[in-house]
Amino acid sequence: MLNSLALQFAEWLAAQPFSSSLHESFYMFNWLETTHVLTLMLSLGMLFTIDARMAGWWLMEVPASRLAARLTVPMWIGFAIMIGTGVTLFTAIPVRYTQSVWFRLKLILLFAAAINAFLFHRHLNASSGTWDLDKIPPKRTRIAAITSLCLWAGVVVCGRFIAYDWFDCGNEMSAFMNWAAGCVASTAAAN
Amino acid sequence: MVESFFTWLEASALGAFVKDQGATFATIEAVHLMALAVLGGSVFVSDLRLCNLVLVDVPSKTVTDNAHKYFKISLIVLLITGFVMLSGVATKCYHNFYYWVKMAALAAGIVFAFAIRQPLLRRDHAELNPLTLKLVGMASISVWFLVAASGRWIGFSG
Repeated sequence: MLNSLALQFAEWLAAQPFSSSLHESFYMFNWLETTHVLTLMLSLGMLFTIDARMAGWWLMEVPASRLAARLTVPMWIGFAIMIGTGVTLFTAIPVRYTQSVWFRLKLILLFAAAINAFLFHRHLNASSGTWDLDKIPPKRTRIAAITSLCLWAGVVVCGRFIAYDWFDCGNEMSAFMNWAAGCVASTAAAN
Repeated sequence: MVESFFTWLEASALGAFVKDQGATFATIEAVHLMALAVLGGSVFVSDLRLCNLVLVDVPSKTVTDNAHKYFKISLIVLLITGFVMLSGVATKCYHNFYYWVKMAALAAGIVFAFAIRQPLLRRDHAELNPLTLKLVGMASISVWFLVAASGRWIGFSG
C-alpha cells in the first residue's frame, strides 16, 4: 500500500517538466550532485569534529559544550545545502530513487541519526558544564557520539551505493529484496 | 612511460580484484568519501579558525595542532583508497582531463599543507600577521575543495 502510494507520487513527480529538464541537464544535474557530495566536507566534517570531541579523541583542551555551540551553525549551513541539493536531485530521478533499497536504507539511517542527535542534544543540555574538561567524557556521551558517527558512515555508504543497480527493480532477486526495494510490479507478480 | 604504468596497473592483480569483484570498487569509494569528510572537518575547523570565523575564543594554535593529526590520517586513507580505486579504472583515468586536474590540485595541496602551511603554523600565531593567517586559511580551503570537486567530475566525464 505504502509502496504503491510512494510509486504513484514518484511517477507524478517524474511527469513534471522540471523533473525531466533536470535529469537531462548534464551540467545542472552534475553540479548539484557535486555540491551535494562536497558539502559533506563541511556538514559531516563539522559533525565529525564535534562527535570526535564528545568521544574524547581530540581537542580535549577545548570545553566540549563550547566546541559544540560554536560549530553547530557551520554544520547546519552544510546540512541545509546538503538537504536542499538532495531533495532537488530526488526530483530528477524520483521513480528509481523511490525503488532503491539503498535510498530507503539511507532515509532510515538519516531518521535514526536525527533521533540520536535530538537525544544527544537533550543530554548535553542537561549535563552542560559538568564534564566539559574531563579527560574522559561520560560513557553515555561517548556512546552517543560513536553511534552518531556510525549512523552517518552508514548514510555515506548507502548514498554512494544508490548509484549501483545491484538491487534495481526488474533484476532477478529474492522476494525480500523486491519488498525492501518497494518493487510494486515484481511483488504483485509474485503474489 | 606514464601510460604504460597505468596500463600495467589496471592489468595487475590489484586492478583485476577491484574491477572483477562487484562491490569492491563501491565499498572503497564509500571509505574514500568518509575520509574526505574527516579531511573536510580538519581543514574547515582549522582554516575557518584562521579566518576568524569559528571558535574565535579558542587559541588558533590549539585548533590547528589538533586538526593536523586527523588531516594526516585522513589524507593517508584518501591516498590509499584513491590508488586502489585508480587501479580498477587506470586507463580510463589516464585519458580523463579531470583526473589530471585532481592530481595537480592534490600535489599542490600536499606541498602547500606540508611545506608552507604547517611550518608557518608551528610558529607562535601571535607573531604572525593576521592577514597571512587568513590567506593561508582561504588558500587551504580552496585547494582542497578543488581536489574534491575535480575528483567528483572524473565520474561524470567519459
